[in-house]
Amino acid sequence: MTPELDPEPGFGAVLRMNLGAVLARARVRVVASWRETSWVIGETVFPFLTMAAFVLVYRGLKAPPMYEAFVVLGGAMIAYWNNVLWSMASQFFWEKEQGQLQLYLITPVSRMSILFGMALGGMAMTTSRAIAILAGGSLLFHVPIPLDRALPAFGLFLLTLAAVYALGMILSSLFLLWGREAWHTATLFQEPIYLASGFYFPVRELGPLAGSLAALLPITLGLDGIRQILYGKAAHGFVPLAWIPPIQVALLALFLYLAHRALATMERLGKQEGRLTLRGA
Amino acid sequence: MKRTFEVIRAASWLGWQVEANWADPFLFVVYSIAKPLSTTLILFFMVRVVAQGHATAESFLFLFVGNTFFLYVTEVLIGISWAVFRDREDFETLKYIYTAPIRLLPYLLGRAVTKVVTASIGVAVALLFGRFVLGLAIGGDAASWARLAGAVALGLVSVAWLGIALAGASLVVARHSMNLNEGLAGAFYLLCGAVFPLEVLPRWALPFSLALPFTYWLELIRRTLTGRPYAAPLRGESDAMLWGILALSTVGLAAVSLAWFSWCERKARADGLIDWKTNY
Repeated sequence: MTPELDPEPGFGAVLRMNLGAVLARARVRVVASWRETSWVIGETVFPFLTMAAFVLVYRGLKAPPMYEAFVVLGGAMIAYWNNVLWSMASQFFWEKEQGQLQLYLITPVSRMSILFGMALGGMAMTTSRAIAILAGGSLLFHVPIPLDRALPAFGLFLLTLAAVYALGMILSSLFLLWGREAWHTATLFQEPIYLASGFYFPVRELGPLAGSLAALLPITLGLDGIRQILYGKAAHGFVPLAWIPPIQVALLALFLYLAHRALATMERLGKQEGRLTLRGA
Repeated sequence: MKRTFEVIRAASWLGWQVEANWADPFLFVVYSIAKPLSTTLILFFMVRVVAQGHATAESFLFLFVGNTFFLYVTEVLIGISWAVFRDREDFETLKYIYTAPIRLLPYLLGRAVTKVVTASIGVAVALLFGRFVLGLAIGGDAASWARLAGAVALGLVSVAWLGIALAGASLVVARHSMNLNEGLAGAFYLLCGAVFPLEVLPRWALPFSLALPFTYWLELIRRTLTGRPYAAPLRGESDAMLWGILALSTVGLAAVSLAWFSWCERKARADGLIDWKTNY
């Protein structure tokens, strides 16, 4: 007697399964972020200290308080960039090292759903850290953050996060193949991006050419726009504010498309070269 | 003693292979200098954006020197404790140190030497960049350079012993507590005034700053390279006094670190933590 095969699941079933994967992956990240006390301290207090050092640079230079606010906003955005780098882009590398990557690959859900869940969980986890940095900066250093313009700034912030995490999805496809060099590559994307994105100073200071290249990164554009919304001309904006939301939408669409293609390509390459289960390489 | 030096030499060579053999030399050099050059340029642009105010080239010079030499603190502190986690959990080789006729302490000091070397590449490139690209007035006569070498060496001994203390802590904590060690480097970056004058620290934080050997170390290096004092709370102290404080605090730190490391190592062995795996 021939065993009866399950029929091909319909669109609704596939959608439900992928949404389930998104929620499950996001939940792991949110729960884990509060379970380990040393992480909570390490990801709030210590980044705050580094941010505080840069606030004091401006204070030492007797700069207007607004520059200190630039640093506080940049410090909050750094939390997201680091989350994208270490918990999104390099996540598949960690999974490979721990022998769990194959478990992702045998599930019948899209890799994009897993990454989307990671992104949602990562945003939720990092938001608590970013709020701590913003609140600490406001209360301890009395930096001016005009709350009456917070709503449009928040809208642009959400758009920026979407594009930044989509970029993280592309990077994660690269890290799928990389071995030990993934660690070093992630490190390379830290301080140089802090510089290029103008986390601590207006990106216009980089000049038109370097600034334009840096503006290809959604986090650069987003931070530039948020500062312009909050501080107007005093923010030394680089890209005209009206251009930023459509550019971010275009980057988001482009990055999602590229991530989808890159994930499929890298997974195929990884299988062909037998590198998906290679540890310590 | 000869045996100890052999262990340090072998461990530093091993550390070099772990650090550098993942890439070709050019890529490795790019990797090594990316961080110091980026932070240098961040500070450069921060100073330039407020240049119309009070900031001057001299302001930047002091920030530059402090930030550049602080790289040693970050690299060595984080590097030694990270070596413990990597050897224990990723390479699973820490337990084999105990089956070899060597002791863990000189082995870790050897790994610290590697981090000093890699940090030195970054520091040297940053100094050259500052001197020849940014046009900073760094330099002096042969005696100044000799004093600088002495000050850096003494400071590095202090940093290495603090690194050993953190490595001891790493032996008894799980891998995911690593960010506490990284955070400690961040705390020192703030408290020792690496990138700002100490007088802008909140008043309550100043005693903590003055309790750190790195505060005196950076002031000594700044004075040696620029010929002028920087931190207002230390202006009354002579160079000789700074040398004395740095030397004494290094000796004190070495004694405390040695005791702490021995205790941690005993505890790790007693509790069966030498082959602990926490990277689940």
